[in-house]
Amino acid sequence: MERHSRDANIVLLLIVGLSAWVIPGAGYFLLREKKRAAIIFITIILTFCAGLYIGSIGVVDPVGAKLWYTTQIMVSPVVAGLGYLSAGGHYPVYGRPGEIGQIYTSIAGLLNLLCVVNSVYLGYLRGTETAGS
Amino acid sequence: MYAMTAFITASFTSPENIGTTPQSLLWLLPLVLAIAVVYKAMKLPTISIGDFIKEVVMLFGSIIIFIAIIAFALYAVARLITE
Repeated sequence: MERHSRDANIVLLLIVGLSAWVIPGAGYFLLREKKRAAIIFITIILTFCAGLYIGSIGVVDPVGAKLWYTTQIMVSPVVAGLGYLSAGGHYPVYGRPGEIGQIYTSIAGLLNLLCVVNSVYLGYLRGTETAGS
Repeated sequence: MYAMTAFITASFTSPENIGTTPQSLLWLLPLVLAIAVVYKAMKLPTISIGDFIKEVVMLFGSIIIFIAIIAFALYAVARLITE
């Protein structure tokens, strides 16, 4: 019985983590933290879009800027689609707009990573509280 | 509708014109605001609008002040070395 409950909790944590990665804030939404989810969704998407607006989709470069791309893809797997579009070098971006765009999009990704970890931890805490009570 | 879609697509396929000027450092402010908002949205036990805004403003202010202090210290060190 206890093992069954632990397995169910692991599945819940996986679902929370994956959905938080696919849609920023969705992990909190699944945990019924709707205000938190809305704030995080709006802020992370706005930050990422601001980065794309400043530097164009050329800042998502899986070939020439792999390290930046690793952090950018943490916003959502959808970013891989943008990487596919810009991989051919059709959207070159240099200088200050490129730097600022990369910083904005990467910070959005790292913030979402923080939210994924935090929502999984919150789900874990709730699971242990439910099992304990 | 087509013109609007084309305008939005064009906005995201060509970079903005931002020069290497001291004013370009102001792009730091929206980023710091985003960090403060997300951090406080994660850390506050319950979210009420008044408390949330107060906490975000406090964190935003402290990050900016800390960055300004570091910038001033680096500027002073650079002046000491170069003069």
